[in-house]
Amino acid sequence: MPFQTDGMVIKNDRIKPLYFLLGISCPPIAKQIKPGQFVMLKVSEDRSPLLRRPFSVYQNCPDNYPEKKKRGCLFILYKKVGKGTQKMTALKKGQRVNLIGPLGNGFTLPPLPSSTSIILIGGGVGIVSLYPLAEALRDSKLFVFIGGKNREDILCVEDFKKLNSAIFIATEDGSLGVKGTVVDLFLTQKKKFKRNSRPYLYTCGPVAMVETLAKSVNFKNFICQASLETRMGCGFGACWGCVVKTNHPQTPYQRVCEDGPVFRLEDILWE
Amino acid sequence: MPHPDLTVKIGKLILKNPVIVSSGTFGFGEEFEDFFDLNQLGAIIPKGISLIPMVGNPPPRIFETEGGILNSIGLQNPGFQAFIKNKLPYYRGLKTHLIINFFGNTQKEYIELARRFDQVPAISALEMNISCPNIKRDGIVFGTDPQMAYRLVQAVRKVTILTLIVKLSPNVTDIGLMAKSVEEGGADAVSLVNTFRAMAINIHTRKPELGNMIGGLSGPAIKPIALRMVWEVSQAVQVPVIGMGGIMNAEDAIEFILAGASAIQIGTANLINPKTGMEVIQGIKKYLVQNKINHVQKLIGTFKIPNAP
Repeated sequence: MPFQTDGMVIKNDRIKPLYFLLGISCPPIAKQIKPGQFVMLKVSEDRSPLLRRPFSVYQNCPDNYPEKKKRGCLFILYKKVGKGTQKMTALKKGQRVNLIGPLGNGFTLPPLPSSTSIILIGGGVGIVSLYPLAEALRDSKLFVFIGGKNREDILCVEDFKKLNSAIFIATEDGSLGVKGTVVDLFLTQKKKFKRNSRPYLYTCGPVAMVETLAKSVNFKNFICQASLETRMGCGFGACWGCVVKTNHPQTPYQRVCEDGPVFRLEDILWE
Repeated sequence: MPHPDLTVKIGKLILKNPVIVSSGTFGFGEEFEDFFDLNQLGAIIPKGISLIPMVGNPPPRIFETEGGILNSIGLQNPGFQAFIKNKLPYYRGLKTHLIINFFGNTQKEYIELARRFDQVPAISALEMNISCPNIKRDGIVFGTDPQMAYRLVQAVRKVTILTLIVKLSPNVTDIGLMAKSVEEGGADAVSLVNTFRAMAINIHTRKPELGNMIGGLSGPAIKPIALRMVWEVSQAVQVPVIGMGGIMNAEDAIEFILAGASAIQIGTANLINPKTGMEVIQGIKKYLVQNKINHVQKLIGTFKIPNAP
């Protein structure tokens, strides 16, 4: 059940030239939010930007989190891309920010995680929303494919290493890992996964990446879920601005914020 | 004087306060129940309903511009039957007025819908949308042609005894004339403004930012124009005027009331701060107390016009 609440900025640090880590103390949301759910953040008190911006959570530390000072906090790893995220970089420690969350459905976890292979495919900042999922599935065999335009866009590698996952990296310019797209890299490795085990495949990234993946994977061999990123109005199901076309018989345009952001990959129709 | 009277009258309807949440920005209401008690509102207007379901426009459907939002949702809705079956029961438990926003593609469809809604208990009033900029068919003509609007309202008037509000398009030269036409047709009230037809282009792809190319602009960017139109309409008609267009807080709402609005609608602001409606009610109350006004009705249209030199 979502609610609207204030949080307090505890950090907002540049971790790479275009990437920032924002920490917000907000115990009620940190307590509830599940992997794949998101928050709508009012990034500035004035009207520029006007709308809230959606962010998936990179790290979520409920009240019983081992590291005491992180308890009740959630962390957002964001890329400075437009007006909204530009304003966000100016947020200072101690400042109040307004949030709505937890929002969306979140990922569906496999019924028997310890005996299931898990494949995570993330493009750019999309990998961030897959990290809490990996933490929740740390007992599974994790195969993580991380892609980006160049080495600057490759995120969370150290985090996934800590979870003992097999990591595969692709960059379009070849500056880190294999040269090419992350989907191509996954396709070269696909045979590794035996048909009988039917691994769970989770993906998040730019629409073009998710589309290419959807068109090249056999849904009989993989159980696929995709977390989508679209422009959002409200984030809680009221405006129907963020829709994606699906195979739903009565309501083909489904809301990414409320009916998603996680969809079965095979349910999405590509135009 | 701790409790000023906030009640206002719209046609046969008495609202406990002048704050209504606008069609298309409040979902079906239930999306907001986690944020505040909906019973506080003067009235709720859910998403507009058509006779048959509408799938809506292709995405992208929303784009933020300076101080405003462009949208082209395309009136996506489940249609009359599914609305009555799946959505209406929710409103029966609420202690606020339910106003139904509806639209058709033809005069026949408007009449048929009004006739059907008229038979449904739990509905307090109808808001007839003759003004959505996001449908390509005949609908738009009703909203911009005073003669057609007059005939349409007259025909719909005959099939319902419910309070009939007509929602006007701002995409006209003389909105006062449109308001007068629908008043003569038998409207109990007019609401305005709907969104302004508008567009945005991505200079890198050279493509429109909206899948439908043209959408409707809302938000604080349109407020001064909406306010002028509400003022003009309140001068042109005798029936109550419901004002809207970029109202973000109580100050904005009071401006519209001073300009002649008997009630106001909150639209875009619901998407940003879902509690806006509740906060506007509190803000209006505070303003009345501070200014020692015991009834909000004493505020309507009382904006002071300087004498001509």
